[in-house]
Amino acid sequence: MVKSIRKRKKYTAHNQKSAYLFIAPSMVILSVFVFIPLIASFVISITDMNIFMKDVHFTGIQNFIRLFSDDRVINATFNSLYFTLLEVPLQVGLALLLTVSLAKNNRYCKLLRSVYYLPFVCSMTAIGIVWSMLLDPNMGLFAYWLKSVGVETVSFLKDPQLAMPTVIAVTAWKGFGYTLTLLAAAVLNISQSLYEAAQMDGAGSFQKFIHITVPGIWPTISFCIVTTTIGAMQMFDQAYVMTQGGPLNKTETVVQYIYDRGFQTAPYDLGYASAISVYLFVIVAVMTFVLRKVILNRGEDADA
Amino acid sequence: MRKKVLSVLLGTAMCMSLLSGCGNGGGNQTAQSDDLAGAAEDTAVSESEEESREGQDETASGEKTTLEFWNVFTGSDGDILRQIVDNYNKTNTDNIEIQMDIMPNDQLQQKLPAAIATGTAPDLVLFGVENIAPYVSNDSLEDISDFWETTGADKDNILENVLELSHVDGKLYGAPMQYNVSYLYWNKDLFSAAGLDPEKAPATLDELAEYAEKLTDPSKNQFGLALPTNATYMQFLWANGGDADDPETNTNLLDSEENIKTLEWLQDLTVNKKVSPENITGAEADTMLQAGQIAMYMSGPWQINGLREQGINFGIAPCVAGSAGAFSPAGGCSYVIPKGTEESQKLAAYKFMQYWLTDDILKEWSQKNGFPVWSKTLMEDPEIQNDEVLSSISEATEIGRSYNLGYSLASQIDNDVMIPMFEKVMTGAASPEDALKEASAGMDKILAQ
Repeated sequence: MVKSIRKRKKYTAHNQKSAYLFIAPSMVILSVFVFIPLIASFVISITDMNIFMKDVHFTGIQNFIRLFSDDRVINATFNSLYFTLLEVPLQVGLALLLTVSLAKNNRYCKLLRSVYYLPFVCSMTAIGIVWSMLLDPNMGLFAYWLKSVGVETVSFLKDPQLAMPTVIAVTAWKGFGYTLTLLAAAVLNISQSLYEAAQMDGAGSFQKFIHITVPGIWPTISFCIVTTTIGAMQMFDQAYVMTQGGPLNKTETVVQYIYDRGFQTAPYDLGYASAISVYLFVIVAVMTFVLRKVILNRGEDADA
Repeated sequence: MRKKVLSVLLGTAMCMSLLSGCGNGGGNQTAQSDDLAGAAEDTAVSESEEESREGQDETASGEKTTLEFWNVFTGSDGDILRQIVDNYNKTNTDNIEIQMDIMPNDQLQQKLPAAIATGTAPDLVLFGVENIAPYVSNDSLEDISDFWETTGADKDNILENVLELSHVDGKLYGAPMQYNVSYLYWNKDLFSAAGLDPEKAPATLDELAEYAEKLTDPSKNQFGLALPTNATYMQFLWANGGDADDPETNTNLLDSEENIKTLEWLQDLTVNKKVSPENITGAEADTMLQAGQIAMYMSGPWQINGLREQGINFGIAPCVAGSAGAFSPAGGCSYVIPKGTEESQKLAAYKFMQYWLTDDILKEWSQKNGFPVWSKTLMEDPEIQNDEVLSSISEATEIGRSYNLGYSLASQIDNDVMIPMFEKVMTGAASPEDALKEASAGMDKILAQ
């Protein structure tokens, strides 16, 4: 008995050694680019450090007090939430709808899936520039088309009301191919026999979708919702390239405001920028936690 | 085995995609168009001049001094600057080699302070004079007050107001490189087509509004006056006797009758008369001006090369006058030396600054770029006086006025108060009174720091 336990201990220890070896490269990268900056920003957020890094003093929670009375933080939070609440359902919903017809392994479906995946591979910067050129009210292609059918030019990215929806549409267009690929892979894993059984019971295609497809891929859907939400809350590139946060700060997200305070506007207040980062970190952490609780619970219910 | 190979390949691909993900951040900054880059695309710079001088170098003795030189000249003027620097590298007898690194202003502002703090800064930097005060207040630039004594360069030959821009608290921190104000550009062909005298630019605010309305034709996608929303319009406020703040005494001057009057006029122009494309950025306005879609535009001398290239028939006039006169915001660039630069490097940098301040180089720079001259001997130069563009510019330059230059809060006032105020007024998002009141409150907060 004792002997066998010792033997097992030895075995696990050995096994763990190689396990650490396997995760070492990722850990190094994660430490340098994620953990250390994360801890550093927590520390910087309670100082008055600026970009020149001279005369740094601890200021306690002063940055955080300032943050909650700053209109632009509130505005940026609202914009980030607005973006997330519209972009995530749009991207995941669009992908889910297309999955139904594209989750087959014939050539046509494979081709379409690759085509939809293409924008995801491109850099958001390039996509942002191309779209802002296409949508430009004075020299863009869309303005030209609209004009040729006699419609008044619409300035998609310049109108305070339309700018954010436009950015949302472009983001969803770029990202849904990725979600689609994940969902299609999950759908292909559902046993065909379930569909056959349902057919025998007289279920239509909509019922099959609701009662077999969706529960069958629920873990994948929830994964997509959680990751897309985290990504959406950290939105930066598209608005930075297409609108620079304007018009009238209607597309300024939290990350953009962080960048603006830290690197664009003197006195380049890194302390304050870090405090806003910590604030965003907490929001995203809470949202992820709640989402996972809600969605995973629902998934278990659906399974039962 | 095959599976193993495949998994290794996939693993590598994943790592690569991770890395490229990190790279994205860097790409963004280059996408941001830089003010100085302005409109102009690359000019084909003839290299022949350079080559003819080749072979003269490598005669100098002693150790070679290499100067690292950062600047923000991403436009066509950067090519001309590079040409001058290359020439200097080949012809100087002090064995100095300048290694030039051009980057967008955004990127320079992110890299330079960190580089100075960690002792890895370049030996020479060329940037806008508005940066000098914030850098000095963080003790990040070398005091070069001994420049005139050390090099023997003639201080008195430079216009006083130009030199003043490189001073903070009476100490010299930079050597002037160029000086400019905002001008009024007008497209003569569009003026003729609208039945206006193509040789006569508007001289007053009322004329400007009247012309702008006449020159606007939505059916042709043509606008009378481009007013980008990511900019400030001090020339209008000043013209009617208003102002933003007094940097000397830290006083807020925003809340005045004059300013309300000016902003009402501005809102009428953009919201009711729609003389400007809605919500455009400066870079977009540059492009539209070159495409002949804009009849009038206020901007710096960096427009000239782009307009010449596109064959636009344009004129340059001073900014328009109001009840209190005509003024135009001044700006410029200076060579500065980051704190912590070694003495020997500093002396080498002095030599290059001195080289730049010779009339030959200043003349070459002004003639090729259309920047006004500010060397007293050069202003008497017949070639300069006969140059049509340069002579109309020197007239327009006389009304230059400093807007918070040398004030360490300047960029914050611009970004947080002035630009949002003008944007709200010009888009009609707020009434002039409300926008001004809000801006004034914001200004108080910043000035209280």
